Amino acid sequence: MPRFKLKLKKRPKTAKLENQDSGEVLMAPSLRMASGVPNYKVILCGEYGVGKSSIFRRFLNNTFVVADTKKTTIGLDQCTRSVDIGGTEVKLTLWDTGGMERMSFIGSSYYRGAHAALLCYNSNNKETFTILSQYILDIVMNAEGAKIFLCGNMADGSEDKEKVDDGDLESFMTECEDVLSGVYSVSCKDNLGLDEMFEDMAKVLHTDSLNRMTIRRDLIRPGETPELNEGSTGKKRSCC
Amino acid sequence: MSQECILSGMLSVTGKKVLHMDRNPYYGGESASLTPLDLVFKHFGKEPPKGDDVYGRGRDWNVDIIPKFLMANGQLVQLLISTGVTRYLEFKSVEGSYVYKRDGKIHKVPADEKEALASSLMGMFEKRRFRKFLQFVQEFDENDPAKWQGVDPNAMPAYKLYEKFSLDENTQDVTGHALALYLNDKYMNNPCKELISRCKLYSDSLSRYGKSPYLYPLYGLGELPQGFARQVAIYGGTYMLDKPNLKIRYDEQGKVVGVEDDKGDMARCDVLVCDPTYVPEKCKSIGKVVRAICILDHPIPNTKDAPSVQIIIPQNQVNRKDDIYVCVVSNTHQVCPKGFYLAIVSTTVETSSPEQELKPGLDLLGPILEKFVSVSDLYEPDDDGKESRVFITKSYDATTHFETTCIDVLQTYRRITGENFDPSKIQRQSEDGCQQEQQEQ
Repeated sequence: MPRFKLKLKKRPKTAKLENQDSGEVLMAPSLRMASGVPNYKVILCGEYGVGKSSIFRRFLNNTFVVADTKKTTIGLDQCTRSVDIGGTEVKLTLWDTGGMERMSFIGSSYYRGAHAALLCYNSNNKETFTILSQYILDIVMNAEGAKIFLCGNMADGSEDKEKVDDGDLESFMTECEDVLSGVYSVSCKDNLGLDEMFEDMAKVLHTDSLNRMTIRRDLIRPGETPELNEGSTGKKRSCC
Repeated sequence: MSQECILSGMLSVTGKKVLHMDRNPYYGGESASLTPLDLVFKHFGKEPPKGDDVYGRGRDWNVDIIPKFLMANGQLVQLLISTGVTRYLEFKSVEGSYVYKRDGKIHKVPADEKEALASSLMGMFEKRRFRKFLQFVQEFDENDPAKWQGVDPNAMPAYKLYEKFSLDENTQDVTGHALALYLNDKYMNNPCKELISRCKLYSDSLSRYGKSPYLYPLYGLGELPQGFARQVAIYGGTYMLDKPNLKIRYDEQGKVVGVEDDKGDMARCDVLVCDPTYVPEKCKSIGKVVRAICILDHPIPNTKDAPSVQIIIPQNQVNRKDDIYVCVVSNTHQVCPKGFYLAIVSTTVETSSPEQELKPGLDLLGPILEKFVSVSDLYEPDDDGKESRVFITKSYDATTHFETTCIDVLQTYRRITGENFDPSKIQRQSEDGCQQEQQEQ
């Protein structure tokens, strides 16, 4: 059972951002299957207000929005980043919930084909931690085979009795021994541990996928998939 | 239903504020995919089988209540791309498209020249004539009369166009029903412009991904409304599921003012979009569709074990007025466990014993493990929404693709906004845009 300690040392950024021009968002070349670079879908899960979107925003453009009141997610909900793991380029596509959990539930389609789920809680709020077993159930039901990673956000917070301590974490991990593929502690506010987390997840996912060779190549995403007959438009076409 | 989901998406990405309410506890209404399998049994009032493993794991099933395929170059695909919803979905090609002939056999609609040469669908000389016809269709340009070869697309009826190319009745059936996907033969006397563009759509779609012109999403059609719902949510719209007994409120002039839920809470609105089931008093019945969802443990005979196919039974070949459709999907599209197949047979009802009308389709399937038959009414709005500001979509028809659905969506969008849907008006979200919107909240 690997466990990753919060590293305080800042390192040069290894992940580079995709071109996020307005048009490119919809047609991110990284999602094209022909690119050959493995791309892993990671979904954010966890209670309303634990900072899923803060993690997303750090992943997206490395910013942190200071807000006095909690705000629900409106805006981009998908972002792809290249991660270099020991000289190999892999891509992570992070999905945010889009705030759908506010008024209704997150449909099963969010989970489809996810390679990993990043289970988030607020380190200073035990409630958001204890409820996680329910989320694990959802993930196991809807995203079969997805690796589950645990992420305690707001590690910058002060000590108080609501804080999720090492004991809680230990007992949770014993409880779901086989389920967790990585445990992280991050702070979006101070930008601590995030790049390390994404890099480590990419490593775990890529190793796993190499062992299983599960990359599917016959999937079609209209608008993003190169067409079959490209370059042969001059040829006569006839279907009978 | 799906049209409302698509409209929610289109309206919210072009700057409208959308509240989407649904009486069902799931997304998409009639266009949802039912899961687990027990829910399918319950939906059709049947007792789920005792014992666990009869049909494999229940939650591996995603059963469409109304199955349809997407034309790879069709309007729904364009809408998915222009609204950005495509990024939430993954598709696979449908492996083959078949057509039924009077002799009781099914024939593959050839996907390329090699298949065409080997096909027993038509004789050698007919093939040559048909090829000429297809070349004409492919090269046809509405704006270039030089390429019309004397055909006035706005005046010449479809049957005359067939005559011009000396196509026999059998080839006309294949063209009109398996390529142009007409439901019946009423098109024969209409200007041939539409026939030409429908044939073009078929071959353009076919040339996109090769095997057939059809696409189908992994995990079933229920993924589509969820994708649109997500898009609405990230553009600031709100979804509320499980809202039964919604009441529509009007002012004295009959203009909609809002919708009240069963707790008496009122959501005010200027425009209401809904399907006919929410406003039966503003709709008229235009017919019925009968559908049979069948569970099989084998592929369809004579399809080379294809994991997904569409079979069209042209009306003429079985002495009917409307075509019978068979759609087959399986584990490769993640709608059922390995070893099982879902076949859905449907047609427009013509007699008082609708299930019997499906027989030519059901007979093609081989042994059937389980069959769920339903007859649904087709409704059309009786109110154009001009006064009431209530805009009603049509029921899903018997077609097995989304082209008619999309026409309804685009027309309804036009009725609501007074203009055509213009993808260039979509408010793209950049990183900054995303933050600006947050602050406005």
